[in-house]
Amino acid sequence: MDNASEKRGKAAKRKQKKRVGFHIDMTPLVDITFLLLMFFLFTTTMLKPQVMEMRIPPEIYAEVEVKASELLTISLLEDGRTYWFVGTIDLEKDPNNPNRPQLISIDSIKYLAFEQNLKPNVKNRLITLFSIDEKAKYDLMIAVLDQLNVAEMSIIEELSKETEENEQGELVPIQRKRRFTISVLNDEDKTRLTKTGVEGVSENVN
Amino acid sequence: MPKIKKKRMGFVIDMTPLVDITFLLLVFLMFTTKFKSEAEAEQQFTITRPYASADTAKLPERDLALINIDIDDKNPTDTAFYFGWTNTTDRDTIRDTYPDLPDELRQRLQTEMLVRVDTNTLSHLIKATRAVNQNAVFAIDADKDVNFKYINTVINILNKNNQRVFNYVTQKRSGEE
Repeated sequence: MDNASEKRGKAAKRKQKKRVGFHIDMTPLVDITFLLLMFFLFTTTMLKPQVMEMRIPPEIYAEVEVKASELLTISLLEDGRTYWFVGTIDLEKDPNNPNRPQLISIDSIKYLAFEQNLKPNVKNRLITLFSIDEKAKYDLMIAVLDQLNVAEMSIIEELSKETEENEQGELVPIQRKRRFTISVLNDEDKTRLTKTGVEGVSENVN
Repeated sequence: MPKIKKKRMGFVIDMTPLVDITFLLLVFLMFTTKFKSEAEAEQQFTITRPYASADTAKLPERDLALINIDIDDKNPTDTAFYFGWTNTTDRDTIRDTYPDLPDELRQRLQTEMLVRVDTNTLSHLIKATRAVNQNAVFAIDADKDVNFKYINTVINILNKNNQRVFNYVTQKRSGEE
C-alpha cells in the first residue's frame, strides 16, 4: 500500500514538472503587426473628393482691346472635340491665316498650353480663353481645365528660372500672371470652327 | 515523505499586445471615420464626379457652401440645383437674421439641409452666405454628365454676387500620383 502510493506520487510529481503550462512569446508577432499597421497607415489615401480652384475675371462691360497674338482660344464642342487657335478665326478676311483652328486631343492640351505660354513674344502675357459649347459635358470641361492646371505648374517652374527687373530695379524671378477666362462658345464661332477646322487631324504638339 | 500535490496550472496567454493592437486600430478607425452629414443623408440623387489629376487640395470641411447640380435620376432631362452648407450655423444665421429672404424659403430652411433652388433663390442664398460668413468657400459639385449650360448659369450667378473664386469638386483619377 505505502509503496504503491509512493510510486504513484513520484510519477505524478514527474508528470507535473513537464506540464507547467507554456508561454508564447508574442513580441515578434506584435513587431510585425505594428510594422504592417504603420505601413498601411502611411500608404493609405482615403478616397476623398478634392477640389479644383478657379478664378474668373470680374464682369466688365467695356470693350477691352486685346492683341490678337496674345489670345489663345481653346474651344470645346458638343461632341467632345477640342480646337485651338491663336487670335481670331475670322478667316473670310484672311483665308491663308496660319493660325487656323487645329483639332487637338484633350490629353495634349498641357503641351499646347506650355508651348504657347512660353513663346518669347507673348511670354506671361498670353490670355487663355476657354470657350465651351452649352451642350458640352461637364467632365470634358474639367478634363481641359485639369490639363491647363497641369501645364500651369510647368509654366511657373519654367518662368521662375528667368529674372526680370522689379520696381526697385532689382532682378527677381519672373512672377507668373495667369490670365484665364471662360465663356460660352457662340453659334457664330461654332459654325466657323466646324467649317474651317482641320477635320480629323490631331495636332501633336510636343 | 509528505506528498505535495501541485495543482495543474493550465497555460497563460498574455493578452496585452493583442489589446494594444486592437485599441490602436480602434482609435485609428475612430478618427478617420466620417459620418454622412445631414445634407448628404438627405440627398436624393447620386453625383458621379468628374476625374481630375492636377490639384491636390482636399475639400475643405468648414465654411463650405456647396452648389449641387444634378440630373434627376427619374427624369433625365431635368437638371436641378441644390444649395447646402457644411457649417450649419451659417444656415441658421441666414434663416434667423438675414433680412431679404422669401418667407417660403425661410420655412424650408427650417427642415431641409439641402435646399432645392432655382436661379433666383440661388443668387439670394449666395449673397446671404457671403454676408454672414466672410470665410465661406463656394464649391460646385456637379454630375459629370451635366451640360456646361448649367455650370455656366452658376458661374454667372457667382460672378454677379462678386464671388469670383470658387471650386469644382472632383475625384482623383485612380492609378495616378
